[in-house]
Amino acid sequence: MSASNENIKDMIGQQYKDGFVTDVESDSFAPGLNEDVIRALSAIKKEPEFLLEWRLEAYRHWLTMEHPEWAFVEFPKIDFQEISYYSAPKSMADGPQSLDEVDPKLIDTYNKLGIPLEEQMRLAGVAVDAVFDSVSVATTFKEKLYEAGVIFCSFSEAVKEHPELIKQYLGTVVSQYDNFYAALNAAVFSDGSFVYIPKGVRCPMELSTYFRINAANTGQFERTLIVAEEGSHVSYLEGCTAPMRDENQLHAAVVELVILKDAEIKYSTVQNWYPGDENGLGGIYNFVTKRAECRGDNAKVSWTQVETGSAITWKYPSVILRGDHSVGEFYSVALTNNYQQADTGTKMIHLGKNTSSTIISKGISAGHGQNTYRGLVKIGRKAENARNFTQCDSLLMGDQCGAHTFPYIETKQPSATIEHEASTSKISEDQLFYCMQRGISAEDAVSMIVNGFCKEVFKELPMEFAVEAQALLGISLEGSVG
Amino acid sequence: MLKIENLHVRVEGKDILKGINLEINAGEVHAIMGPNGSGKSTLSYILAGREGYEITQGSISFHGKDLLEMSVEERAWAGVFLAFQYPVEVPGVSNIYMLKAALNGIRKHKGEPELDAMDFIASVKGKMKDLDMDEKFLYRAVNEGFSGGEKKRNEILQMSVLEPTLCVLDETDSGLDIDALKIVSDGINRLRDPARAFVLVTHYQRLLDYIKPDFVHVLANGKIVKSGGAELALELEDQGYSWLEDKKAS
Amino acid sequence: MSVTHLPNTHYAGLLATATTSKIEAEADWLTSLRERAAAEFNVAGFPSPRDEEWRYTNISAIEKSQFSLSEKTAEVDQALLDEALLEGCYHLVFVDGYYQPKHSSLAGLADAVTVLPLSEVFTGSKEQQDLFKSLLDSVIEEHAQGFINFNTALFSDGALVCISENTVVDKPIQLAFISSQDGALKLSNCRNLIYAMASSKATVFETYTGVADSCYLTNVVTEVVVEPNANLTHSRLQAESLKAYHIGGVYTRLENNAIFQQNNYTFGAVLSRAEIHANLSEASDCTLDGLYIGCDHQHMDNHTRVHHNQPHAVSNEFYKGVMDDKARGVFQGRIVVAEDAQKTDATMNNRNLLLSERAEIDTKPQLEIYADDVKCAHGVTVGQLDDTAIFYLRSRGADEQMAENMLTFAFANEMVERISFKPLRFKVLDELLKRFPQAGMKKEWL
Repeated sequence: MSASNENIKDMIGQQYKDGFVTDVESDSFAPGLNEDVIRALSAIKKEPEFLLEWRLEAYRHWLTMEHPEWAFVEFPKIDFQEISYYSAPKSMADGPQSLDEVDPKLIDTYNKLGIPLEEQMRLAGVAVDAVFDSVSVATTFKEKLYEAGVIFCSFSEAVKEHPELIKQYLGTVVSQYDNFYAALNAAVFSDGSFVYIPKGVRCPMELSTYFRINAANTGQFERTLIVAEEGSHVSYLEGCTAPMRDENQLHAAVVELVILKDAEIKYSTVQNWYPGDENGLGGIYNFVTKRAECRGDNAKVSWTQVETGSAITWKYPSVILRGDHSVGEFYSVALTNNYQQADTGTKMIHLGKNTSSTIISKGISAGHGQNTYRGLVKIGRKAENARNFTQCDSLLMGDQCGAHTFPYIETKQPSATIEHEASTSKISEDQLFYCMQRGISAEDAVSMIVNGFCKEVFKELPMEFAVEAQALLGISLEGSVG
Repeated sequence: MLKIENLHVRVEGKDILKGINLEINAGEVHAIMGPNGSGKSTLSYILAGREGYEITQGSISFHGKDLLEMSVEERAWAGVFLAFQYPVEVPGVSNIYMLKAALNGIRKHKGEPELDAMDFIASVKGKMKDLDMDEKFLYRAVNEGFSGGEKKRNEILQMSVLEPTLCVLDETDSGLDIDALKIVSDGINRLRDPARAFVLVTHYQRLLDYIKPDFVHVLANGKIVKSGGAELALELEDQGYSWLEDKKAS
Repeated sequence: MSVTHLPNTHYAGLLATATTSKIEAEADWLTSLRERAAAEFNVAGFPSPRDEEWRYTNISAIEKSQFSLSEKTAEVDQALLDEALLEGCYHLVFVDGYYQPKHSSLAGLADAVTVLPLSEVFTGSKEQQDLFKSLLDSVIEEHAQGFINFNTALFSDGALVCISENTVVDKPIQLAFISSQDGALKLSNCRNLIYAMASSKATVFETYTGVADSCYLTNVVTEVVVEPNANLTHSRLQAESLKAYHIGGVYTRLENNAIFQQNNYTFGAVLSRAEIHANLSEASDCTLDGLYIGCDHQHMDNHTRVHHNQPHAVSNEFYKGVMDDKARGVFQGRIVVAEDAQKTDATMNNRNLLLSERAEIDTKPQLEIYADDVKCAHGVTVGQLDDTAIFYLRSRGADEQMAENMLTFAFANEMVERISFKPLRFKVLDELLKRFPQAGMKKEWL
């Protein structure tokens, strides 16, 4: 870990690049982190006292923590004093005025994903009001949710409108002391999403960041909290349609899910942050803490993720299975190409009786990519008849990449049953030749084989999401077949 | 249709083919026979464009174009089909999906529109029936867990769906019992057409009992040492290959 | 990624005070090697659970117990000896870390085979000294963990075994390590060097036993080199006292086409750790078998590491554990496939049974792969006995407890049955039966 600090400054410090807009100094904080910065941040957001105190506690604890070194990733040391911890939400006027001003590579990607033009503009941050009435979409949408009693808003809004809910649930799954990046997030998070599904309500539509107009541009430290009351159900989609434009380089988010008795949350992510270029320059550091707690009996949570972006991905969407008969699932596809590194997996903590968990992880390594599955299955003393099934498969493409499997299994219950299987395979020359002989181009053949490899995970995604995920894999693997 | 002239091929520094000349016209069936290690499989791989073979001399033209300049899939689009001796397993990719992708690739290349999915499935199912294949094979991964005979039938199914103009069958009879051999041969015979040529690469006469070739060529030690009609195959069956080797030695 | 951890002052003190040569007529090169190891120990100390490789095993009890170095004992209990020695083997006996000639027997050993206690190396021939020098510390990776450094700095004795080219040893060679300590909190450090030269074939056993219920520490390191086309079987049986501590390691280098079979049976010690490391060259073949059976408060850590450095090597690993009472079993296995190790075929299996509500299993099977054309797989299960099998046995008249015992025994016995040398198989079986007296099994039936 010895690259020059200059580089990292360039990577982290920049708020805007690619000629997006300039005059930002006036409404951003100068780089640096101390208690005053946190007070100022909290003041700007007009937060209640308890939240400021909570942030400060997190910050003070963070100061005592060491940067974690255990993950199988390498990157230069981050100077946290080089980061600016607040920049005002961009107004539409700050964005590019038309698609012509947007990086053509990005447009190219959108086209390959088959995203409609208006959508492309919105995603690329082009001021879209004139072309596409996002406000009205958002409004109809909000009304429908309001009728059902569902709260879906930005975190800041929730702090103002529903402080009692925030106070009750914030930090109860991922405490502000949890780990280095979670503590940092707790201290400085700028915004995020809040979802509350009342008792017995089945959310009438899939919630996605797509509609989260107010919470756009939440920056690098976002925080999401979803509470599913007894017997409720919600499906939440994140990262949605396409690569989001995001110039921030360090992304340290926290997601907390609270699932009460008989409730269910399905949380799907397609992560396609900027992965850096083919030489490993640039790209997002995606250090995320995601955790769900099944608090009541029969609660169920399912994490599905397709991770194709980011220079470094470091995340373990986890489930604490506290309620009896609760169920945790983790379905993941992680792809690393060029110089990407991913250390990802899950933790299934079985505490309640008859709890069960399933882990399906598919890692694809190409180029110089390093792909690590790291997962913990822990069966507590009282988790009678707990069940876990884990399957980790790795697919290697090329001889410069690496695929690693690091499961941790800890059991204290004799009636528990745990099965773990892992395998490694490659796309062979024979397979490619065979497909090509049938008239399928090498890239299509690879994409077919890769999609077949990932099938078990894709089937967990909502339909249109799955289609995009497949297209994304294809794009991410471009150039990896020689 | 296909013209091979003075083809020399080297693999890992060893000369495998040493001057092959062969002309094949539409509607013809050619059998290439020869002892093990004579270079038969090399010839089929060369036609399909497999890497790892160094062509040191000679040329192959296909429909007047330089075949050797074309990539593997370009050859497939142009109508070259190789039925593999050992069909490859492609886990995770279903048969139907691969067939559709392959066929649409070829149609796209010809400037034809993609097939309607329903029509496509109906037509494939009809062809499977002819080959006595269960429909469930459509949804299984390509060749994965197939028996030897099932794999060979699957090759013929692909051939009948993709409708190539040059069909190269590499040891298609190996691993087939007598019933399966009949079904596969019938499948191949149904595809015989004035616009289509076949190259049957085989060690034994067995397949030729069911598919009557117009020409038989004997490949030995990297060269075609003898060409003739269907009767040559019978001669080989009676006498084996050693008389050819002897002749060459003398 | 090793975490530095201040050395325990007691043990650093032992190193500082015991600087005189530990072996008679010790050469200067060895003394300086020891000094280097001591210096490394003084920086890093013993490993702590903060070190990822030691995450499930906390050795603070060893630090607290402040064991002192054992001394040469004159006598050893005959019953202990009788129990330790296996029939049909050559024997080299070490008591409390020192060679005991009068109980050892190498009669009939071929000249082409060298079996020598390290305490006699420097009074032996120049060839033997050169051999010793070339082997010692030759297999262990750089920056060895604390117990290895501690061993290098202090080892008092051990065995040098060398099988010449094209030689087949007619009988297994048993290295028997016996602790005669009875309550004095002593520690012993032995070092073994095993060298199977090209195309040789041999079987070497290491057995560890001690006075029942006595508390002592065994810290042993074995280095193994298997040359091209040689075939070495190495088994270690750890049946220390249930209050003892045992830290042991087998570090192996397999050269091209070498065959190595390592069997690791763990029954004893309140806390034990066995590290089995193998470095594989081209087309070598490595089999690692393991069985760990824990009860009471036993803690058993098996730490294996297989490095495929070159193409076409094959490794098979199969470890089974049964934990009862409040015992804790740990399995940490790692397969590393280097960039050049194409066509590697590596499998790892770990199967565990938990018999009690208070027992625990922690398992961490890892694959680290840098080559693309490889076949690697691992599987782990932690579970219980097959319900249908229990039902079947009960339907044939066994009561439930009996049925469970039979199946548990059968689960463990699968590993025992793989032992081809009968005296060792019966010895391991005895140990197994001691832990499952209720299984109602008798050796004669098996």
